[in-house]
Amino acid sequence: MENSVSVGLGEIAISRNPDEVLVAYGLGSCLGIGVYDPVARVAGLLHAVLPESPNGSSANGSAAKYVNTGIVELMKGLEAAGGSPARAKIRVIGGANMLLSSSLSKTFDIGTRNIEASRKTFEKMRLKVSAEEVGGHTGRTVRLFVHNGRMTFRIVGGKEQEI
Amino acid sequence: MNLDELLNDNLLVAMQSIVTKGVEQAAEGFSGMLGQSLTVDSPKVKLVDVTEIPSMLGGPENEAVGIYLASEGTMCSQFMLILPYQKALELVDLLMEQPTGTTDKLGSIERSALAEVGNITSTMFLNAIASQTGISSRPTPPAVMVDMVGAILDIIVATTGGIAEKVLLLQTTFNCGDRALNAEFWVVPDPITLKPILEKASQENGK
Repeated sequence: MENSVSVGLGEIAISRNPDEVLVAYGLGSCLGIGVYDPVARVAGLLHAVLPESPNGSSANGSAAKYVNTGIVELMKGLEAAGGSPARAKIRVIGGANMLLSSSLSKTFDIGTRNIEASRKTFEKMRLKVSAEEVGGHTGRTVRLFVHNGRMTFRIVGGKEQEI
Repeated sequence: MNLDELLNDNLLVAMQSIVTKGVEQAAEGFSGMLGQSLTVDSPKVKLVDVTEIPSMLGGPENEAVGIYLASEGTMCSQFMLILPYQKALELVDLLMEQPTGTTDKLGSIERSALAEVGNITSTMFLNAIASQTGISSRPTPPAVMVDMVGAILDIIVATTGGIAEKVLLLQTTFNCGDRALNAEFWVVPDPITLKPILEKASQENGK
């Protein structure tokens, strides 16, 4: 039976348990970054909130809060569980701009900044992102199935879609 | 100084007084808009972790309506009213003087009505702060969102820049005739703007 593991704000989950599904519920401007090594069968999911750590460090255990430091931690976690970042399938979901009101959206478009931070970090690490489902104005729930690496997203009132 | 350090019991006491006046005035505003008397129960002020909010609203994936405003000027803060979807429909019925259950979806008129709730509530709240502390500010136009609770909350989480950050939760009940509706607002003040409120509170305590 499938066992859902909730990945909350600023958290990372790494799993080798084929019964587990890593889930980040209701992502708005946040990013859900999923990695899956098909050989080692290790999956990891990051739920990052903000684009970049102010001082570039990952002190105070808050690395997973930021996209840039969170991605580094996610890859470390994958390696520690026997996976390989170079082999991993990387998918990025989220980064919506939740405020449509023009006077507010420009100030708070953290979603777009999160997406940019993700692309910049992966480029710097020379890792290729295989799929993105980012931007827009709607929240998404993300699921990563450990047994086969399938990654899905769902919006309010919508069906589960695979990326 | 960060927000968590400022959000303490002293501030809660000061905010309770401000909020009580603010909500009473908001009720007067609604009464004017509705053309019938609307009363409010004494509002409760609490400090809650942002991360606790989804579970209070039935989970991060639950469909909800968020009414969001920021305030600009001397008092910079954010206001968020989040209602479970069904409750938002009931609120529209109340505002539009329709029997409960009449509204079954949120079109542009219904969204405007909800935006007006945000407008009146935040304006009255800001007026109450201004009259007690002399701090003036004005609200931005409201944004109304229908989405998952978690996604709506990302706005607050991302702009406060924190995960363990606490926010002020205002709970009250609006009563209109025999109909009652619970409302919960989250107010996220900018830490700098809280200082004058705290100073004012400590002056009064020292009297």
